[in-house]
Parts: sequence; structure tokens; C-alpha cells
Amino acid sequence: MTEIALDILGITKRYGEFTAVRSLSLAVPKGAVYGLLGPNGAGKTTSIRMILNIIAPDEGTITLFGKPSRDQASLDRIGYLPEERGLYKKMQVRRVLRFLGQLKGLGAKEADRRIDEWMERFSLKTAEKDWGLAKIDELSRGMQQKVQFIGTLLHDPELVILDEPFSGLDPINAQALKDTVVDLKKRGKTVVFSTHLMDNAERLCDSVCIIAHGDKVLDGTVPGVKAEHGGNNVALALAGGGGAELVNRVLRDHTMVERVDDSNQFFEISLQKDADPQELLHRLIEAGAKVQRFELVQPSLHQIFLEKVGATGVEVGMTGHG
Amino acid sequence: MDKLWVVITREYLERVRSKWFIFATIFGPVFFGVVMILPGYMTVKGMKNQQVSSVRILDATGTGLGHRIAARLAARKDTAAANPLQGRSARPVTEAIPTEVEDVNPPKLAMAESVATKAVVDNLSPGYLVLDSATMTQHTARYAGRNASAVGQMELLQEAIRQSMIAARLENAGIKPERVDSLIKVKVDLSSVRLDERGRGESGIVNFIFGAVVAFMLYMMIMIYGQNVMRGVLEEKMTRVAEVVMASVKPDILLAGKILGVGAVGLTQQLVWFGSAAAFITYGAVMSKAMGVPEMKNFAFPTVSPLLLVSLILFFVLGYVLYSSMFAAVGAMVGTQEEVQQAAMPVILLLVSSIVFVQPIMLAPSGTLARAMSVIPFTAPVIMPLRMTAMQVPPLELIGSLLGLAITCWLAIWASARIYRIGLLMTGKRPNLQELMRWIKYA
Repeated sequence: MTEIALDILGITKRYGEFTAVRSLSLAVPKGAVYGLLGPNGAGKTTSIRMILNIIAPDEGTITLFGKPSRDQASLDRIGYLPEERGLYKKMQVRRVLRFLGQLKGLGAKEADRRIDEWMERFSLKTAEKDWGLAKIDELSRGMQQKVQFIGTLLHDPELVILDEPFSGLDPINAQALKDTVVDLKKRGKTVVFSTHLMDNAERLCDSVCIIAHGDKVLDGTVPGVKAEHGGNNVALALAGGGGAELVNRVLRDHTMVERVDDSNQFFEISLQKDADPQELLHRLIEAGAKVQRFELVQPSLHQIFLEKVGATGVEVGMTGHG
Repeated sequence: MDKLWVVITREYLERVRSKWFIFATIFGPVFFGVVMILPGYMTVKGMKNQQVSSVRILDATGTGLGHRIAARLAARKDTAAANPLQGRSARPVTEAIPTEVEDVNPPKLAMAESVATKAVVDNLSPGYLVLDSATMTQHTARYAGRNASAVGQMELLQEAIRQSMIAARLENAGIKPERVDSLIKVKVDLSSVRLDERGRGESGIVNFIFGAVVAFMLYMMIMIYGQNVMRGVLEEKMTRVAEVVMASVKPDILLAGKILGVGAVGLTQQLVWFGSAAAFITYGAVMSKAMGVPEMKNFAFPTVSPLLLVSLILFFVLGYVLYSSMFAAVGAMVGTQEEVQQAAMPVILLLVSSIVFVQPIMLAPSGTLARAMSVIPFTAPVIMPLRMTAMQVPPLELIGSLLGLAITCWLAIWASARIYRIGLLMTGKRPNLQELMRWIKYA
């Protein structure tokens, strides 16, 4: 049996009348990349803050590496990148990093050695320029994000928690972040990150948990979740895009199609349970569609997310499916 | 404990390294030096102006008391001039009050007074002293003039009247006038260590200045460093660094580290200042002479008893902790620089209320106002040390004041820590009082 790095059992957090998180349970195996997915305001950040013991849950328990999460030594094995990033603006980069490292129990000398290593790796320290001697507010935004990321990983944490790590990153930094997550996994570290970007989650995660309005909607390994919610799904690509009236009529026929995610060039279609995909293909060609791709697929996380979370939310109304 | 130390070190070093700290530490003593010398300088200048014409003494006692007083004031001037370097007996130049005596028949006193009033109004005389039958029987005299609020001069007049009356009585009792004079002179020296009804001795002026400086310093340090804590908290909240840090340390430790670190900066500054004050007192005479302030020749640093010193430190530490934890709560409550000054107003007003009453309390350090304000925890850190420089405060009052302050401190830290814990992660609207109470309750 795999070792559990993070075990959450029935945690609830209320703010007066409002329940931010309702009896959430999940288990993150050691060495896994785990995605905490949900729309904005679902309770992701609140859950993460409870894991980090920044706020206390009203009910339930959190276990880190087999110990209660109030245990400071366990908390020191976590590296945390909050959604809203920030550093002391007027402080020297090196001193900020040393401070963050020391707060996690690193010695000053060891911290300095690792700072050099990381700064070189992220090309913040080159032969010409050592940004470590600059003040934080002299750095560009991208550099500040790198520094923040170094601060998260400086003490070589066993568990890395990233809250919306991709928000505000340009493609180059986003790629660097993905590489680092993969690298962390290779080195046996556990990574938990929250996001509302399903593409990233699908590519990176071993397991996911989707929460909405404070409730857990589903969780499991990515293949498991897909298999469970799989079935009649078709990926469709049309030459020249959709828009032809006859084609649209076929796609909106609810006797066959349960829902369709129309991305103009590309359609992700969930068929009704007993509908025959061949029948749909036949009808589409009859309607004059120029089919480039027609494939029976497992649903994407995005699709599952919309189906599970958006079923009662605004998304349905927005797609015009009623 | 290690983490607390890490936080303290950061707070301390980042501030001590800043240009602001270096500037304030160097120029602070210059500023205080000016503040200390300037009033003395102005007083001397002002005194000289006022003494162009003489004080009129209207003597309706028929005993020649007025002439005695005039003679005594004039004699003092001679002594002061003769022994300019002789410590205690050489009093400041405020001693010399030129007088002219007018013997008045009691029935005509009212008229003489109105003439004298007109002389004052016309700026021909700074004021006049009225001696009547009540002076001899009930020991009262009246003074009216433009300089009636000049504490030093009034004290001096009072002293001259008192001594003249004693001299008169001694002579009435059959002692020869020559003897009386020498007897009185002995009295003068003795009275220099006497406590008057205000509880101040002859070294009152030095204590007066010392008390004011101590109160003002305490007030300034608490204000400056309390608000420094507030800005630090606000910075952590606004830059969002708070959340990163709180993932590593408990908010209580972060708050404690901040308060202790900033407090250590304040103590460092005070040490530097104290050192330079010692140098100032050693070499200050040269400076003062250059500015033409004769008092400074006799300026001696008042002896500070160990009790006073310990109390000073205790009141500074407790007062600083009380206010800085309140300021920290304010910093955690608000979201922007613009809001913070407004939100800090209640706390600032609490602190200002203590400095506002410094003067009346110095004049009556054992009065009801003084006693009340030295026990109220929010004014005690400034007012109690002020009272202690002016008088012997009953031990019970001192202990009560310290105890009350310590308890209030504890309550303030407790409530602030709770507000801090929640406020640091909150964004948006500033909480109203009701919401604040809920924060404290549920944190």
C-alpha cells in the first residue's frame, strides 16, 4: 500500500452563515501530483490554508506524514506558494530568501549555498549580474515570481502546495513551472496544486479532486475518473468550422446529444446513453458537414468538470442548451 | 523559539539598516538639544525685555514690608552677581526683579491699584504687588501683571515676601536687625532643599525640564515605534507576504517578533541618544555659553534613583507593548495606506491625551487629575514617570498603576493577536466594531 503524505478527513470551515468547505475528505499518496480543481470561490484556498494550519478547521482532522497537521516539524516539510504572491519590497533578494529558508528551519549557511544554486538555475545570478543583491522592487514581475518560487522550494520540502500556480505566468514561466513540477515528482516529492485550468491539470496530475461550493464533487486518479465518467463521448473536428444551420440542428438534437462543447473548430460531444455514434456520424454527413476527425474518446477533465460542476451552474445557460 | 528569533532578527536588522533610522538617530539628539536649549534661550531673552521697567510694590501694611521685599530682591541680585559660579546660591537671572515701592494709606489703596493697572496696560510696568492688612494677618498678597504666569518669577516674589515677613516677625520678637539678616541668610540656604507645596524642591527647574523631557521622550518613542509596527503589519498584509510567512510561523509569533524587533530598534536608538546626552552634558556648557544661556552653567543632570530608572524602563516597555499591539491590530484591519491613518486615529488620540495634560500635571503632580491619569493604563506610561520625576509617588499608586498597565497590556495583546490572525488574510472593507468583536470571538 502506498504511503499517504496528506490525509484529510471531513474538514469543515464556516464563516458565520457561509460554509466555505463542507466535510471534505481526500488522501494524497506520497510522490503523487494531485490537482485540487474547482471554480473560483469553491473553497480551494480555504482548504489549502487549513492544510497549512493558517486557519483551523471547525470540524475534521488533517494528517501530514502520519502526524496531526498542527505539528510544526511536519509543517516545516511543506513548501507553499500562495495564490496572491508577495515579498518584502524593500528587502534584498538574498535576505528575503534567507529569511524564508530560516523560517523553515534552514541554517543561514546552508540557505546561502542553496540560494546560489537556485539563483544560477533560474539565471538570476550570472557572470554579469547578481540579482541577489538587488532589492525585490527592482526586479521585473517575472523575476519576482521566480524568487517567490525559490522561496517555496529552498528548504527542499517533501510536500509542495501551489495555489493557482499558473495564474499570471507567461508561457515561458508556465513551462518552467511544469518542468519543475515534473522534476519534483521524479525526485519523489508530493505536489498538490489548485487550479481552475483543466488542461494543465489533465496533463500534470496523477489524481484530482473537484470541489464546488465547498463540496467535493468527485475525486480519484485521472484515468479512474475518466473511466467512471466515460462512455459515449465523441471528439469532432469540422473543416471550415461549425455554423452551418443543418449541422447545428443535428448537434442540438437532444434525442441523441446530451451536451456539446462548441469550440468553433472543435466539438466535444457527450451522447445520450443509448445513442449510436455511427448514427450521429451518418446524420452529420447527411447535413453536409465536412468531417475531419470523428473519434470515440474518453471525456476530458474539462468536460467532466463542466458536466459535474456546471450542470446546475451558469455554464449551461451560457451555452444556450437550456 | 528559533522562529521567533528569526523574525526578531529580520525586523531589527531591516530597520537598523535603513536610511531613516540612521538619519533619525544622528539628528534626533540635535533636535532634542535645540528643543532643550531654545526655551531657555527664549526665556532669558524674554526676561530681559520684561525687566526694562520695575515692578511696583503698593504697601498698605504700614510696616515697611514693601521696602524689606524690595531690599531683599535687590540684595539677591547683588549676591547673584557677586558669586556667578557658586552653584546653588547663584540663581538664574530671573532673580533680579527691579522694584519701586509706594507706601499707600489703606483707604487710598483702591485708587493706587487702578493707577498701577493703567501703568501695566500702558506698558510702563510689568506688574504690581499689593500688600495690605491681610498680608500680615492672613499671609496673602496679590500680584497683577503681564508676567503673572511666569512660574519662576512668581515663585521668587513669593519667596521674597515670605522671607521679609519672617524677618519682620523676628525683629518684632526683639532680635536685632543685623542678626535677623544673617539668620535669614542661613534660612535661604536651607530652603534650597525644601519641598514646597507643589512637591518640588529648589532644584525644581532642573526637575521640571527633566520631567518634561522624559514625558516627551516616552510619548515620542511610543508614538514613533508603535506606528512603525503598524506600518510593518500593513506592509506584510498589502504585499501579501503575510500568507507565505504564516505558512511557516504562527501569527502570534510573527506579531511578537515584530513588536520585540521594533522595540529593540527603539532601545538601540535610545542607547545612542543616551550616550550622546551624556556627552552633551559633559560638553554642553560650552555650547550653552556660546548661545548665551547662563542657566546651563549650573545645569546638572538630576540624580536618577534606581527606582525611577527601573520604573522608567518598565513604563516604556509596557507602554510600548500596549500601544504597538493596538497599532498592529489597526494595521491588520485596514487594507490601504490611505485608510490606515484614519483607522489609527482612536489609538493616536489615546496616546495624545496623555501629553496634552503634561503641563497641568507638572504643576500639580499630586492632584486628582494627575493621580487619575497616572493610574489609567492608556495614559500611565507617560504620566506616571512624569509624576515620579516631580514627587515621591506613594508605592501603592505606583504598584497599582504598573499592575493595571500590565493587565491591560495582556488584554491588548490577546485581542490584537486575534484581530491580527484574521485581519492579515482579509481583504476588502474595513470591519466595523461589531465585526471586529466577532473576529476576536471566533479567531
